[in-house]
Amino acid sequence: MKENRIRILYIDDEVHNLNAFRASFRRSYEIYTANSAQEGKLLLKSVDVHIIIADQKMPVTTGVEFFYEIREILPDPIRILLTGYTDVEDIIEAINKGHIFSYVKKPWDEYELHNTINNAYEMYQARKNLKEKISELEKINDELNRFIYSTSHDLRSPLMSVLGIINLARLDNSVKDPNGYVDMIESCILKLDGFIQKIIEYYRNSRLDVEYEKIYFDSLLQDCIANFKPQNTAIEFQLNIDQPVDFKGDTFRISVILNNLISNAVKYQKPDETNPKVNLTVKVEPHKATIWIEDNGIGILSEHLNNIFKMFFRSKNNNKPGSGIGLYIVKEALNKIGGTINVESKYGEGTQFEITIPNRNDFDS
Amino acid sequence: MISIPDLRIILIDDNEIDLLLHERLITLQQISRTVLSFTSANKALEFLSSNISLHRIPPTIILLDIQMPEMDGFEFLTAFDTYPAKIKSQCYIVMVSSSLDYGDINRTNANPLVIKLLKKPLLAKDLKETVGEIFKDF
Repeated sequence: MKENRIRILYIDDEVHNLNAFRASFRRSYEIYTANSAQEGKLLLKSVDVHIIIADQKMPVTTGVEFFYEIREILPDPIRILLTGYTDVEDIIEAINKGHIFSYVKKPWDEYELHNTINNAYEMYQARKNLKEKISELEKINDELNRFIYSTSHDLRSPLMSVLGIINLARLDNSVKDPNGYVDMIESCILKLDGFIQKIIEYYRNSRLDVEYEKIYFDSLLQDCIANFKPQNTAIEFQLNIDQPVDFKGDTFRISVILNNLISNAVKYQKPDETNPKVNLTVKVEPHKATIWIEDNGIGILSEHLNNIFKMFFRSKNNNKPGSGIGLYIVKEALNKIGGTINVESKYGEGTQFEITIPNRNDFDS
Repeated sequence: MISIPDLRIILIDDNEIDLLLHERLITLQQISRTVLSFTSANKALEFLSSNISLHRIPPTIILLDIQMPEMDGFEFLTAFDTYPAKIKSQCYIVMVSSSLDYGDINRTNANPLVIKLLKKPLLAKDLKETVGEIFKDF
């Protein structure tokens, strides 16, 4: 039990005060005393105390000066200043310098001092717990990031080998495959790789610093369309860009957002739609860009609209392949760059996403 | 296919399946008649330093993986950079990796010894193009 006792250092140049303090509190706390700031500092080198009580009026170094001197080397112990009524200036100074928890006036009231000590100790414990939790969380966060990184790499490299084998088998015609099993293997591998790439995307979004550079929505969206066009050549893309002013933003995150949303607009089309459409509209203003991504696809059930940005949520009404992570990444990426997203959808008719992204062009100048 | 008669290709990859794949790909596409495979960067460095005694070093393309245990692709590059010009001037290094890490990609592109970064799975078309670019003046 002794280990758990509150350890207090009391510094006062008047020896009878030190003795009186000892006499009153020795049964409750583990007490160390010193009769000058100098001696106190020496003692602190060998003992780890929770609370330091110092008299203000001491020759050579005052209580406030002492606390000020040790604030860098010993930030943890909670400081209590003992002082007479007349030292208001000193109290103000001490509080303003921010290094004392409380002051107790001399001569002390035993009950009051007990209370102050206990409150100080609670503060000490709370700060300590908080510090431990922070470093624990930092460690977990760091490990998680490294885990995601190495998993995605270690998972991906054998997959790429499998794709290499498939390519080679096609090249040398060594595998007879009348039922198209190799193609099925390939499509499964590509699906799995797509998921791994999403994880890497998520990891990058959470970890990389935000960087602002000039963005030209026209070429950015043309690139996106060129990527997705082959997946469904029937889709008619309509691009409507109004960018009269420069736009600065985080290229990586903005392209992650657009790629995921356009990918969904392409993927979730009605199979029997004769005129599948994806409309992309961009309006750039000095302070923000607004982007609308609109499709006439299968739409989202209204009861699902609240959940689509949750991790791994997948709408049950479609039998399309999906990982349930795309829109979650969109939301996370928007959070990083201070953007917002809204969705409107009619089941069976189509979906429209509206995103706004702050224009960092103004923030620079 | 590509008319450098004494061209040789050195493969460095800790993944034996990838080594085999790349070897078969090169042979099938008749890119080079000589393919030397190494499962570690160290062994490849040893081999290359033994080449110093050769009267003439043949033109060499090195397909180098990035992530390998013990010595990775970047460490290989650092070590290889100290080799005599007689060897270095005949070697053309192409990195081959499945890495999507920006750090890896940027470091590769920034390295003056590296001609190009090709992604895994290595495609016959990409490899042929790259070899063609390297020897376009021959």
